[in-house]
Amino acid sequence: MSFPSAILEYLQSDFVQRRRPFCFLIDADYRLQDWWGDAELHGFADLRTGENMLDRAPYLLGHLGTALEVLPFVTPAGGGTVEMHIMPSDEGFHVIVMDASREHDFRQQRQQTANEVRLLHAGQQQLIERQRTLIGELVEAKTELDHRRREAERANASQSQFIAMMSHEFRTPLSSIINYADLAREEGTSVENIRKSAEAIARASRHMNRLVDTVLDEAQLEAGHVKLNERPFDLRALFDDIAAIMAPLAAEKGLSFGIYLGKGTPDFLIADDVCLRQILINLLGNAVKFTQSGSVRLDVSWENDHLHAVVTDTGPGIDPQDQQRIFQAFERAGDTSRSESPGTGLGLTITLELARLMRGNIDLSSKPGAGCKVSVDVPALIHRQGPEEESALPEPDHEYRAIRPATILLCDDDEDLLALAEYYLLRAGYGLLIARDGEEAVEKALAYHPDLILMDINTPRLTGSAAASRLRAEGFAAPIVALTASDVRKLDSKDFTSSLRKPIQMPRLLAQIQSHI
Amino acid sequence: MSHFSSKICVLGDFAVGKTSTIERFVNNQFSEKYLTTIGVKVDTKEITLADDLTLKLVVWDVAGTHTFGDVEFAYLRGASGHILVADGTRPDSVITALELRKQVEDRYGELPFVFLVNKSDLTQAWEITDEQEKALRSELADVYITSAKTGDHVAEAIERLGRMIAAREFQ
Repeated sequence: MSFPSAILEYLQSDFVQRRRPFCFLIDADYRLQDWWGDAELHGFADLRTGENMLDRAPYLLGHLGTALEVLPFVTPAGGGTVEMHIMPSDEGFHVIVMDASREHDFRQQRQQTANEVRLLHAGQQQLIERQRTLIGELVEAKTELDHRRREAERANASQSQFIAMMSHEFRTPLSSIINYADLAREEGTSVENIRKSAEAIARASRHMNRLVDTVLDEAQLEAGHVKLNERPFDLRALFDDIAAIMAPLAAEKGLSFGIYLGKGTPDFLIADDVCLRQILINLLGNAVKFTQSGSVRLDVSWENDHLHAVVTDTGPGIDPQDQQRIFQAFERAGDTSRSESPGTGLGLTITLELARLMRGNIDLSSKPGAGCKVSVDVPALIHRQGPEEESALPEPDHEYRAIRPATILLCDDDEDLLALAEYYLLRAGYGLLIARDGEEAVEKALAYHPDLILMDINTPRLTGSAAASRLRAEGFAAPIVALTASDVRKLDSKDFTSSLRKPIQMPRLLAQIQSHI
Repeated sequence: MSHFSSKICVLGDFAVGKTSTIERFVNNQFSEKYLTTIGVKVDTKEITLADDLTLKLVVWDVAGTHTFGDVEFAYLRGASGHILVADGTRPDSVITALELRKQVEDRYGELPFVFLVNKSDLTQAWEITDEQEKALRSELADVYITSAKTGDHVAEAIERLGRMIAAREFQ
């Protein structure tokens, strides 16, 4: 059904008024053939037949096809928004452009609001997400902090316990030293009692020295300063030594003790025998210490280039919860019978670290009340010829006499050490010069040219290091031996010939002098 | 001297900076105000590819969308290449741009394109991680981190597209 002509005319007029259509005809090369309608409104003033319409309407590029194409809301640069229809026909292409500005503006307003809301929502989502991440990170950080705080508290408690225990450990031998020294000084004390007092003082001092060595060993291991010294050694001789040390201790407590070598255990090995000795003595020492009755035994076997040593005791055993912890520094098992026993709490830490240094491992199995079994497993090589080097055992102490007359300059501000050294050095046949600070040492060395200087590092006025350095600068060429309680690696090797760690043991001091003169 | 003209389309999610990128490229201008595009804006810019070769780019800046309908596909007809734009502060817009690229390829076949991760000036709000950028670069040959605000890498990216179109045109 068609509209009456009057209505149709009205609609047509209304449409033309509102949409202001403009139509032009182009050929396939975009050349203008003809045009109708409101050209100027759409930016097409001064048209010429035959002109290339791509220059005026670049949006036509690529859109001349075989079917009708309708492109709503096309906004050319500098123009209003139009709706474009491209109608292919026999004559070419009719292009109709109609004003779409009003609808475009209306839609844009609506879409703008919608997009801004979406952007706001997306921003909020990102903020929420960031907040969640931050909260998660905060929770994680708090958990980590709590964990570290607990660790620090535990370490602090362990160290406090260690300090308390060490002061107790030191006080016992120290009180022996004080009391026996007082006894020896008392008027009328017999020579026999003085000798016994001196022996007791020596015993207590050696014990204190061992305690200090244990703490220093752990510090060295922890700092990674201990290096393996692998060399051939006699395995049986090593176990003989260990038996000689441990058997009397076990016998004192009424424990049976034995070392059993399995079939096929080699006679000679290449490994760090000093480390191995310390590991086994530590483990056996612990076993003897904590076992009140029964036995302690060491079983040794050889398999796949590994030495296996198992220390078994019939002691109180260790709770499963304590079994990992006791290998940590300053930690000891919670069991009363163990915590009341003397010790630094470093023995097992050192033992485990030494085993790891030897590329081996330690395994512990125990049940409370059923004793304890500790297995050590370290790699080693079989040595066929037997050891060529000397035993790792220290040389037995003996009196060192001066081979030739020599003058020693001793620089130290410790009067006791000076008196002791004076006694031993003079007895050994050396001439002695004494200096109580670095300045005096330099003066005397340059004046009297001693054959060797024993130089304490921490001396008043001028440190031992500075004094040695000044002497070397002055051309002093004789050996200078450093005496120090601190890290010998901090010393300048150019200035010092060798070093001795305090407390000084006189036989070692004399041996060192003999080696240089 | 040779001249030729090519139509390129700018595609991507809403508010990623498509119109601002073209405004920077064509008129070297930037406005902070966000004005959404309805339909398509058409602009032109002539670039010199060699001493004797210029290319007139007819740029169709298509309204932002997640997916194309019949009208959008009609806008894309006759294009020789595309500029895909994403917003570096909205990682989802990267996925949208990649999806739009696939839709165009399914409809019109493989065409040269460059991928712009825009708004690099918003460093505080930047959400694309180095790993995501690396992954994008391993997947696509021509990825540019751009800023319509400062102009960083905008011209470089579009000129790269022009060269790809020319290479295809004259091969």
